[in-house]
Amino acid sequence: MTGEHSALALRGLAKSFDGKVAVAGVDLDVPAGSFFGLLGPNGAGKTTSLSMAVGLLRPDQGRAWVLGHDVWGDPVRAKRLLGVMPDGVRLFDRLSGGELLAYHGLLRGMDPAVVDQRAAELLDVLALADAGRTLVVDYSAGMKKKIGLACALLHGPRLLVLDEPFEAVDPVSAALIRDILHRYVVGGGTVVFSSHVMEVVERLCSHVAILADGTIKRVGTLDEVRGERRLEEVFVEAVGGRTATGEELSWLSR
Amino acid sequence: MAVPVTAATEPVRPVSARHFVRLKLRVMANNFRGQSWRVALFVAGVFVGVWFAVGGFLLLAAPGFAGEPRYALLAAAFGGGLLVLGWLLLPLVFFGVDETLDPARFALLPLPRRTLVGGMFAAAVVSVPVVATLIATTGLVVTAGALGGAVAGLVAAVGVVAGLLLCVAASRAVTSAFATMLRSRRVRDLAAVLLAVVAALFGPLQIMVLAAVREADWDRLVEVAAVVGWTPFGAPWTVGLDVAGGRAWAVPVKLLITAAAIGALLLWWSRSLESAMVGAAGAAPAKPRRGPVGGAVGQLFPRVLGGVRRDRFGALVARECRYWWRDARRRANLITLAVVGVFVPVLVNLGGNGFAVSPDQGFESSGSSSPVMLSVSMLTVGVLASVTLANQFGFDGSAYAANVVAGVPGRLELHARMAAFSVYVVPMLGVVAVLIAAILGEPGWIGVAAGTLLAAYGAGLAINGLVSVLGAYSLPETSNPFAMNTGAGMAKSLLTVLSMAGSAAAAVPMVVAAALLGASWLWLALPLGVAYGLGAALLGAYIGGDVLDRRQPELLATVTPRR
Ligand SMILES: Nc1ncnc2c1ncn2[C@@H]1O[C@H](COP(=O)(O)OP(=O)(O)OP(=O)(O)O)[C@@H](O)[C@H]1O
Ligand SMILES: [Mg+2]
Repeated sequence: MTGEHSALALRGLAKSFDGKVAVAGVDLDVPAGSFFGLLGPNGAGKTTSLSMAVGLLRPDQGRAWVLGHDVWGDPVRAKRLLGVMPDGVRLFDRLSGGELLAYHGLLRGMDPAVVDQRAAELLDVLALADAGRTLVVDYSAGMKKKIGLACALLHGPRLLVLDEPFEAVDPVSAALIRDILHRYVVGGGTVVFSSHVMEVVERLCSHVAILADGTIKRVGTLDEVRGERRLEEVFVEAVGGRTATGEELSWLSR
Repeated sequence: MAVPVTAATEPVRPVSARHFVRLKLRVMANNFRGQSWRVALFVAGVFVGVWFAVGGFLLLAAPGFAGEPRYALLAAAFGGGLLVLGWLLLPLVFFGVDETLDPARFALLPLPRRTLVGGMFAAAVVSVPVVATLIATTGLVVTAGALGGAVAGLVAAVGVVAGLLLCVAASRAVTSAFATMLRSRRVRDLAAVLLAVVAALFGPLQIMVLAAVREADWDRLVEVAAVVGWTPFGAPWTVGLDVAGGRAWAVPVKLLITAAAIGALLLWWSRSLESAMVGAAGAAPAKPRRGPVGGAVGQLFPRVLGGVRRDRFGALVARECRYWWRDARRRANLITLAVVGVFVPVLVNLGGNGFAVSPDQGFESSGSSSPVMLSVSMLTVGVLASVTLANQFGFDGSAYAANVVAGVPGRLELHARMAAFSVYVVPMLGVVAVLIAAILGEPGWIGVAAGTLLAAYGAGLAINGLVSVLGAYSLPETSNPFAMNTGAGMAKSLLTVLSMAGSAAAAVPMVVAAALLGASWLWLALPLGVAYGLGAALLGAYIGGDVLDRRQPELLATVTPRR
């Protein structure tokens, strides 16, 4: 079996939608205890790859392992070790924050007393306790991100997979989330998250991978990947970016 | 997005209804792209539409061929009136409206309200049901032409087009108004009651039709038809006959009545459209909810579920229970179900002798029911109740991902969903059984009624559990609980018909037993029915759960709305 020692191992994951290739064979090894950033431009296939890695989207080809358990062959064991915050997916948002956490906790087979205690703590730390019994559908975008993160953390998973956890979150909350995640990694957990915010990735990650056009362009520890340069330069080079020349969009200025 | 930043310097081209129609056609075509099953469903829908259209055409054209002006008036006034009424009520209760163009998407565009309403209206006219209705009502043109010559035919054609516009305007205005009310925190409950009343309207309507047919006093019917012809329900459809009958002066008046009705409806629609555009986000009750305070777990469980274990099953049931009440779409379903559940059996047993085994005794003999007929009507209610679950995963949409990530076993999932729905439905079925026995004055029949209800409901749960896993489709993420995606209306109707037929077939043994076993069935029905229903539901969850385990991600993909 491959990837016995990796927290997350992907081999040849591929997916196309209606003949259009979204992910073209992704191989990835996320070492246990690492803080792993998955970078890529819009439409690179980050969400698609992560969805396949956690069992939300069936790959056309390839396999995925969570701490040695095959996600598609032995989903029960794999999913138990996994906490996920998907992007672009609704929560059961006709519940209040507390109710939602209770639902997720019980669904993971946790003891009700533990659920109560952890839910209260999470709501408190993430500054969601003030929302009281407001339904999640009425939360702001950033609050929704935070409650989604709380749902993923609640059962104390060994591997956290987060899709764009810092999107729409205010700076104070972002710092808070960084702290929480940092402590989680120090405590032996592994985090994989996608982002396009270079500063966050440079500040947090021990490892990064750059994904573009459905394939991994660069992968390794942060220092390996960025070398002597800034991460942003490496990113733009790997992705093949362009800069505006000043000729286009002239109508924007009057 | 083409927001005209330099609007002051560049000429802005006016937006016309044509753009909306083209946009709708484009969105429809894009929805079909790469989804052959959607195309197939659409084609099937077109065929069904044409089938009904041709049937309607023949009915409406027959008086013309037969040269019967009196029947022609009856057909035009009542047939047309029923058509308008159908367009008014059916989207609310059964089908929903095609919301290919979601009004909320236009909120940011600088469009005057008139343009918007006109455009949305024009787009709404371009649809299969409208074409089908047009084909059917061409029968009126034929009739008018046969009776009164070319001029009458021409006038009838104008009337038919006006009538069609009236139908579309009515359906849009009413669904939009109800959607707004169900969304509004203040009048939500009032709207729920109103919706129930609307659903209940089907009852008296059927009684009236049945009574009218049975009385068969043609002279009086013709008088009524003439009156209906002066209301918006009948006005557009009868103008051709007026010309044929030498009452040409009535034509402008009736057309004016129709135009006024259309105008009023569009005005009403434009009001609620505005609120649909800006109020798309919040669809939740704001009342401070009371309940067991304390921990998060205590909050999740409604009080009726006080005794349920706080584990995975309990959490699923509790969440579903909350959703059946808090989600406007599900709530609308529950309410119509409650009303229809009471009215169908009352009608079948008191009014319609259509099923009766006893000789036809006329409408007055209300005690003409029999255990067999009671069983048939109860079976219908049980099947109707369970078919609400035919797209149960579609209600969740992408939120279902939470259950996939947590790896909820298929059987557990289906058991919990059945149990949660039953928390609402089983007491309701109990009320129906008692009520119907009381109305019929046959307390001894409670057992038969309840037993058949539960057997049919259980069998329906089994079939619909399977259907909901295999035939799920996504619902649009709008705030309109009546909105359907393009083609989904067809999918819904087909699935509903299929699963209703399946459930009914599965419950037929109860009716057979009622016919064969006689008196002993009166007390055997309840225990056997309960056992049968429970057994069927468990078996359905057993099989359906297996299927669900294998295609969880595929199910998630089908219920996730494409944005
Ligand atoms: N359900 C779907 N149907 C069709 N195409 C899809 C679907 N989901 C994703 N795609 C396509 O797959 C490609 C990758 O999309 P994906 O969402 O994985 O990108 P991403 O890296 O997460 O982008 P972003 O940074 O914008 O979130 C895109 O080209 C997208 O159009
Ligand atoms: Mg993404």
